[in-house]
Amino acid sequence: MTAEQRAKSLGVHLVLIAYSLLAVGPILLVVMNSFKVRSAIFGSPLAPPDAATFSLVGYEKVFRSSHILTYYSNSLIVTLVSMALVLLFGAMAAWALTEYRFRGSTALALFLSIGIMVPIRLGSVAILNMMRSAGLNDTLTALILVYVAQGLPMSIFILSEFIQQIPRDLRDAARCDGVPETRIFFEVVAPLLRPAIATVAVFTIVPIWNDLWFPLILTSSDSTHTVTLGVQQFLGQYITDWNSVLAALSMAILPVVMIYVILSRQLIAGLTSGAVK
Amino acid sequence: MANLRIEHLNKRYGATTVLKDINLGIEDGEFVVLVGPSGCGKSTLLRMIAGLDGVSSGDIHIAERCVNTLAPAARGIAMVFQSYALYPHMNVRKNMTFGLKFTGVAPAERERRVAEAARMLRLVDLLDRYPRDLSGGQRQRVAIGRAIVRQPAVFLFDEPLSNLDAALRVSTRVEIANLHRVLKATIVYVTHDQVEAMTLADRIVVMNNGRIEQVGKPLDLYYEPANLFVAGFIGSPAMNFFDAKVETIEGGRARVAGAGFLNLDLPAASLKVGDTLTLGVRPEHLVRGVNGPFAAEGIVELVERLGEASFAYLRRVDGRMFVAEVRGRRTPSRGETVTLVAAAPDVHVFDASGIRVAMPIASWSDGAIVQS
Amino acid sequence: MAEPVSNITAQMPRAKLAGLLLFFLGPAVVIYTLFSIYPLVATMALSTYTSDPSGARSFVGLANFETLLGDALWSKPFWNALGNNLIFFAVHMCMQNPIGIALAGLLSLPGLRLKGFYRTVMFLPTMLSVVIVGFSWNLILSPLWGVAAGALKAVGLGSLFAPWLGLESSALVTLSLISVWQFVGIPMMLIYAALLNIPEELIDAARVDGLGQFRIFFHIKLPLVLPTISLVSVLTFVANFNAFDLIYSVKGALAGPNFATDILGTFFYRTFFGNQLQLGNPTMGAAVATVMFFIILLGLCLYLFLVQRRIRRYAF
Repeated sequence: MTAEQRAKSLGVHLVLIAYSLLAVGPILLVVMNSFKVRSAIFGSPLAPPDAATFSLVGYEKVFRSSHILTYYSNSLIVTLVSMALVLLFGAMAAWALTEYRFRGSTALALFLSIGIMVPIRLGSVAILNMMRSAGLNDTLTALILVYVAQGLPMSIFILSEFIQQIPRDLRDAARCDGVPETRIFFEVVAPLLRPAIATVAVFTIVPIWNDLWFPLILTSSDSTHTVTLGVQQFLGQYITDWNSVLAALSMAILPVVMIYVILSRQLIAGLTSGAVK
Repeated sequence: MANLRIEHLNKRYGATTVLKDINLGIEDGEFVVLVGPSGCGKSTLLRMIAGLDGVSSGDIHIAERCVNTLAPAARGIAMVFQSYALYPHMNVRKNMTFGLKFTGVAPAERERRVAEAARMLRLVDLLDRYPRDLSGGQRQRVAIGRAIVRQPAVFLFDEPLSNLDAALRVSTRVEIANLHRVLKATIVYVTHDQVEAMTLADRIVVMNNGRIEQVGKPLDLYYEPANLFVAGFIGSPAMNFFDAKVETIEGGRARVAGAGFLNLDLPAASLKVGDTLTLGVRPEHLVRGVNGPFAAEGIVELVERLGEASFAYLRRVDGRMFVAEVRGRRTPSRGETVTLVAAAPDVHVFDASGIRVAMPIASWSDGAIVQS
Repeated sequence: MAEPVSNITAQMPRAKLAGLLLFFLGPAVVIYTLFSIYPLVATMALSTYTSDPSGARSFVGLANFETLLGDALWSKPFWNALGNNLIFFAVHMCMQNPIGIALAGLLSLPGLRLKGFYRTVMFLPTMLSVVIVGFSWNLILSPLWGVAAGALKAVGLGSLFAPWLGLESSALVTLSLISVWQFVGIPMMLIYAALLNIPEELIDAARVDGLGQFRIFFHIKLPLVLPTISLVSVLTFVANFNAFDLIYSVKGALAGPNFATDILGTFFYRTFFGNQLQLGNPTMGAAVATVMFFIILLGLCLYLFLVQRRIRRYAF
């Protein structure tokens, strides 16, 4: 490497490091200060907690005065069930739309793609009415149904692209082998869609976990709140109690960050796989 | 094992006709190769036999049973794909048994068949491996094994060697020929490679533009091509063509003239004065000399030296090129004017519509060159 | 010659095909129609009704829309929200795309080390909930905590600090920038993926022709990823005109100070559910949702007919 090249590469790294700091700095700051006593939060906000300033008082408060564990389990149930259904029904529909030719298939594909661009939120008034009259108001089932409807168009779109990449010979070989159509989907095609899960997750599952709108309008009791809504309400209530606020924020941030760091390679590979152009 | 009969088969995609009135009978145990340039419809025909593409009109019979509306699995066929189409998430054993599960073959019988196929194809040590851990040749053998265990009436091969490198292609070709000998199976094999077609086939079906141009034994196609297309398609380098015209007919002999070759007398046969003809001579049948019923002249522009033979590219007086094979170490040099002659049976005559004109060989005589 | 899809349906008995389609498509179509399309249509239908205090509904045609656009009590906040929303979108377009392109360009430089680390770190905020991000920034920018003020003072710009989120003049732009900070990962990743798809030989050819990295980026890479940039823009448009969470969690339903940060999402929410100042009005809420639907539709049509047609896609 020449001196000029080295200087250039150093410059590139400086820019990237600066932006990385900007990206994680605020998150680090919140998490770091959530483990400190109140005086240290204000006295030296940029210092990491040490033996003198370490405190879990905020976390104690959050556990005592909110149902944070219920929120977690609600979020987990809603997200996992929605994800399973979005992937299963989405893949099944994508398979039928890409593999079988039938009258109206193009129209149906168009119909299903409306939801990619038109946000389901705009139908909230009617959704709330429907859920009320069906007795599903303030249940996790209501959230799951809405999220599955919301996630399906995008997942069908993404999964169709993946299914098209599976060589046609493979499906033809299975047909020559006498494998029934349903088994071709479940035993030949579905196992090959594993790389698509990460892409679908980024575009449909993460928004479900993070959503505030539907929990806000569809759930009213503590027992059905999700983490996002529960923390949002907690923050509003305890806005002056900085220890609790920072702890609540951290408790919403940390699980997501941990899962993200573990899965980031797959998630980013899924994003850059070229399936979404 | 079974025979295969195709009658008046047509295939249309919307307005375009891909196959036109295909008629073909294949005997029990016969190895038939479909060959033709890409887009000629050979793969579509194979996929229709397999049941992967629908029939627009006409009939396909396997073992005297019309299979037009049967699902692929019910037709008693097995197919080997160009891309091998191995299930990437199943090991070799599972790849071979997967299809048997659904056709009611008992587990013990499945194992027996896999063991037998694995022995035959030298796959015994690979049964627990996944496709990604196999070489191209090994994958190809697994694909064939998967077809064998199904014990089909007819084997279908879709360009099975085109993803292999040159050396492997030759050895696998030999292996497929041996397999045919051992299994005595009916095989329909698609390729665009005429060497594969010539070496493997009992009979070759030459296709072009959705039609069958000629069906015949390999050497019959080579020595008696039915029309200009087959003449030009079989053989490498391709046959040289010379435009010609019948000038006079006298005493049972037709005098034929044209650019690039010396006037020659053909047996009159069915020819009439004024007929336009095309004469075809293969490069390997042109030799240096002066005595022969057919003599062509040209200036050497390029010589490709391959070793045992070389190819000389010559420009004729009318500006077009023709090719001659020159054997041995002494090759003509650039710029040299060379006269090449061919023996009577090696001159192919085609009429104005490109159809072969039969020449009664016995009535030819050497030395029939007419100096003009 | 060969068809892209298997022609297997041609040989299938009709009943069998119908059964398969029902099995594979049934669940998705039913859930999607019932909980996505039907509510949209029902909401639009509801926007032509009005309800009296007893709850009885009566058809009023387009009267709700006349009220929304004509009655100053409604039209003033509506136009205010629409205007704010346009500013919100403009800030995204001016900041998010250039930053995303620049970061993607740097990340795709050949031979860059720590690529995976940078990617992971810079995409992290995108994974978090808008609520959490909004609130965290709320704390950081708060004069009470003084982190932002302290940081500016440290680089000698202490006098520049102001409680940006609290001022009518700067609250909206500040919130827009927080949103940009969070979502810049999406254009970065999609453009990065598009850049990776450009064949290396093309770049090598440009280098052989004597172009430097900078010129290669502007003259070769950028034109080739233009379709991705326009796709990102339209995704941003839809997301922006549908945004709600950030404003609601930082500023509440009243989108203060003095509605300076009110956008269509928060306006819709207030109209529908009511708040301290007014009663919830489902039929007017439906009317607002319908107008939002047509705004998004208009944007999509403009994109499809004006932008996408002119953009060439290149096959490699």
